[in-house]
Amino acid sequence: MWDYISYLVMVPMVYVAFTTLILGIIFKVYTVYKSPSIPARLGVYPQDDITPVGIIKDSLFWPVALKKSPLLWGFLMVFHLAIVFLIIGHMELISDFRVLQIIPHDVFLGAGALGMILIVSTLYFLFRRFRSPFREISIPEDYLLLIILFFSILFGTIFHMSARYGSYSELVKISAGDFREYFMGLITFKPVLSYKLALAPHFIVLVLHVFFSNLFIILFPFSKMIHSLFIFFAISLKRK
Amino acid sequence: MENQKIEEFKQLIKSRLNKPMRYYLDVCTRCGLCYDTCHAYYGIPKKEYSPVNRAEVVRKIYKKYFRPSGKFFPYWSDATEIDDNVMEQVYEAAFSCTGCRRCMMFCPFGVDMPHILSIAKLLLIANETAPEELVMLADGAVEKGKSIDLFKEGYRNVIKDLETEVQKKLNLPSSENLIPMEKKGANILYVGLSGANSIVHPAVIFNSAKEDWTLSYFEAVNFGAFVGDPEKMQFIANRIIKEAKELGVKEVVIVECGTAFRIMKHMMGELPFKVSSIVEVIHRYIRDGRIKIREGSIKEAVTYHDPCQLGRNSGVFDEPRYVLKKLAGDFREMTPTRELNWCCGGGGGLVALDNEEFRIKSGKAKKDQIVAAGASVVVSACENCILQLNTINQGYGLGVEVKSLSELVSENILTGA
Repeated sequence: MWDYISYLVMVPMVYVAFTTLILGIIFKVYTVYKSPSIPARLGVYPQDDITPVGIIKDSLFWPVALKKSPLLWGFLMVFHLAIVFLIIGHMELISDFRVLQIIPHDVFLGAGALGMILIVSTLYFLFRRFRSPFREISIPEDYLLLIILFFSILFGTIFHMSARYGSYSELVKISAGDFREYFMGLITFKPVLSYKLALAPHFIVLVLHVFFSNLFIILFPFSKMIHSLFIFFAISLKRK
Repeated sequence: MENQKIEEFKQLIKSRLNKPMRYYLDVCTRCGLCYDTCHAYYGIPKKEYSPVNRAEVVRKIYKKYFRPSGKFFPYWSDATEIDDNVMEQVYEAAFSCTGCRRCMMFCPFGVDMPHILSIAKLLLIANETAPEELVMLADGAVEKGKSIDLFKEGYRNVIKDLETEVQKKLNLPSSENLIPMEKKGANILYVGLSGANSIVHPAVIFNSAKEDWTLSYFEAVNFGAFVGDPEKMQFIANRIIKEAKELGVKEVVIVECGTAFRIMKHMMGELPFKVSSIVEVIHRYIRDGRIKIREGSIKEAVTYHDPCQLGRNSGVFDEPRYVLKKLAGDFREMTPTRELNWCCGGGGGLVALDNEEFRIKSGKAKKDQIVAAGASVVVSACENCILQLNTINQGYGLGVEVKSLSELVSENILTGA
């Protein structure tokens, strides 16, 4: 039974998640593309840099948030940077990108620190919503997404740190190569869930990490997570 | 609520799902950075008056009818069906917002809350619970546009009386043609309001500058926009555009009315004439020496309230300050000022509603700013703002003098210069 469940999470659910993500984003963008434009100018003054550089600057560095709440901005910046580095780190589990080895390292570069940073910042975002006035404006989606993300990061970090720092025999210790075999199997539509991976000491933690990550990816296009894409368009209207 | 009515509401929401609306409805993360940026919340710290809550009222309805999560799992996004109770929330959200867009300055995504609230206003019109005063005023403006010929003679007679006032102010021998009308090929078509001051003071300024101008038959104010009816808004603005095209003017100059200016300048697409605010024109005349004013003639401390639609939403910041610094020996800025200036609480048509108690409370931020500036004369360049500043002045017993910029210039113009 467990084998069946773990396989479902590690293979079919991953396909479902990424298919939903890609089709969901295409659907979202198509819906916007098909929606009518309006002749009105919606920008505010003074007009800052209206070039794409200015739009990207506002979209990636949120100067407005920095002015209003430096603490929140700090957590947001650390959180988003850590996410970017973790995405890069996961890419290294797919293949060995030489360009990423400018600083020679074992996967992951942060050696678990990024996970810890993400855990702390996710908890900050969550606890922030427990108090007024943010409690009053929050809806279940805000909490649920953070909880899903929290579990995904927590299990991912536990798994990574256990594999990295745990004292296991080389026979059972999982390497980047084992993951590359798994990821390449998924990418080439010849999924392989090797015995080595399935028999790893913390395999259940890995399955939980993948489960919560899949859930988050499925929800991505249909939740407020779409802000990561739409911010560029919304900011361009503000600066227009 | 009846299914047929719900269907009607859904169609109305759908009609407003343009590109910006889709971004604004989806992009918000409820980070809460806008929470305390609204003047109404400053005066009445209830979540109902926070920008994010106003937007959420609309967003929850949108999700209920247009998002699979809202349909099948409403708990997720707190999706809400429309009922009478929700419509009351919709009213509260729509008509406690002046459309000043100060919250937008603090939103990391740049969400335009009033744009979202345009859905709320549309629903209220369909529900027949939009403010009756605004509906009637918008209908009146539309009617005038449809049958302008019936109004022309009466209006010309009124203008004749105003010409006499202008004559006295300018100390001229004749009042003939001091407020020209229907003048083809004029440089400027000036669009005033129904109040005499909105015509007399600019007329003094135009005549002093020896401008080739003509007065519009219409009022600039757009009650269609205030009530939130896009068709009426277009019709009311198009009356003026049609008149300007028929007369072949080069420039349309809008009275001190922020919303009217923003609509004409930014909402009507490409136009075959230049659109300016009277404030910009006054600045131009003084800068170019076309009119002379008594510089430094105002001895009292003067401060300027940036009308949101003129400043933050149209970029007219420096021109009124240039004029005021010439007129006043002691000009003081409010804090915060310019694009972060607090709204007075009178915009969005709120000043036309029977809500004085609310407006006094929501005007607390402005009151505090005026007191902190220590000025005894408060100048602005928007009729709504002037009315609301007077309400704040009386409501809090500030004892300041509230003046419009054109009035101040007209009173201090050097005639025969």
